[in-house]
Amino acid sequence: MANRASLTPSLQAPTVTSTSTPSTTSLLTPALLSLSSPPQAQVDIHALEYLLIEASRTLADSARVAQARRDKAEAEMRGAGWLPTQGGKEETGGARALSKLKEPLRDEVERARRARAEEEEEVAVRLRLENIGLHVGGNLAEKLCRDRTRFADPLDSVKFLCKEIWPAIWDKQVDNLRTNHRGVYVLQDAAFRPLVRLSSPFGSAEAAKRAKLHLAFPCGVIRGALARLGLHGTVTAEVTTLPQCTFQIKIPKNT
Amino acid sequence: MANRTNYKQIGEDLWKGRTEKINAELFAFTYGALVVQLIQDYEDCGEVNRQLERMGYSIGTRLIEDFLARSNLGRCNDFREVGEVVSKIGFKSFLNITPSITHTAALPPPPGAAAPAPSQTRPGAGASFVLTLEENPLAEFVEMPEEAVDGGLWWSNVLCGVLRGALEMVQMQVEAVFLSDVLRGDESTEIRVTLKRYLEEEVPAGED
Repeated sequence: MANRASLTPSLQAPTVTSTSTPSTTSLLTPALLSLSSPPQAQVDIHALEYLLIEASRTLADSARVAQARRDKAEAEMRGAGWLPTQGGKEETGGARALSKLKEPLRDEVERARRARAEEEEEVAVRLRLENIGLHVGGNLAEKLCRDRTRFADPLDSVKFLCKEIWPAIWDKQVDNLRTNHRGVYVLQDAAFRPLVRLSSPFGSAEAAKRAKLHLAFPCGVIRGALARLGLHGTVTAEVTTLPQCTFQIKIPKNT
Repeated sequence: MANRTNYKQIGEDLWKGRTEKINAELFAFTYGALVVQLIQDYEDCGEVNRQLERMGYSIGTRLIEDFLARSNLGRCNDFREVGEVVSKIGFKSFLNITPSITHTAALPPPPGAAAPAPSQTRPGAGASFVLTLEENPLAEFVEMPEEAVDGGLWWSNVLCGVLRGALEMVQMQVEAVFLSDVLRGDESTEIRVTLKRYLEEEVPAGED
């Protein structure tokens, strides 16, 4: 009987002919397979969008608190003599010198100091948003790659980022991907979702400048996703004209 | 009651009509990373609770406009109806969950109390409802460490803020607090929303 089955060509699935343990893959029907992966819960995309919009303000406040705590700890250590006090001397000397300056000059120095403090705050918020993006990008990449073979080429990883990770978060693929095949990739999005409804009463140039903060999270997502896939590099973002933006990824060759 | 089934159906239709949906895990990852960052910055769970609530308040004030525009619902007749709309349509259309709800009517004023001020005689002030969340998309994959549990952290406190902000924009001042949370080892996750008073239509003070 075994011989006859193997000689006749037929479109039926081959019957088990040997006496060794039969494979059980035939027991895995599609219905059973779908039971093994849990149903994907979904939420409205706007929930995430509102969360990220408010997150930048919340993180700015928390960054300020964290910085104040660090400054206080530093000041205490200086007071207790654990840190050199040169910095402190400079500050008090500066304050005395400041009071001797004339009004307009003093205002300028104050303005410069405030601008620098604002810059530091913005850097702190960007860092936090990027960290959140790192976390999200990495976990998302891991989830979406679950049943795939490993990517042979860094270009494949970047294409995966553009075609699968982007839609998972922003509901569309990246519009344009360019590479110089030497580790530099440029992603262009003509209507990037977080930027689509942004505007500023101070004009489009000002809006483009302020929009950069909203690109911190996406930069983190890109960096996190690629890192989880084994590629470590740097990501920078530019806003040309709202809502267009570009992301430049640099992956050094030795990874 | 016929009204109750209508709400459920409206909620379902609204959710099905949403074309832009994302994976709930993505939402959970983002929220989780945010809470962790706040804990690292503030180092005080009580403060983190407050910040989450405040953030939720801002989100709620925006969210309600979105909700009203989509759902086209009219004014609610009483606080009970508010609870039904919130649980069956509000939560459903944004988070695709339908928490179960338990209503508690307003307590009558104790006898012999001084006559209440005019703004408090509107029936319903003091009424409350409790939402029981069987599933919580914010809490996927979350395990709270001992310090957070001891510190009194309510992981999903942003939801309380959203409820407060959204309802304030429709002239209701409410207090929303967590009663229990499975992340803290409790049996269920519950939020109680209590109506403090109805707000007059006026420019809100204090925000500017």
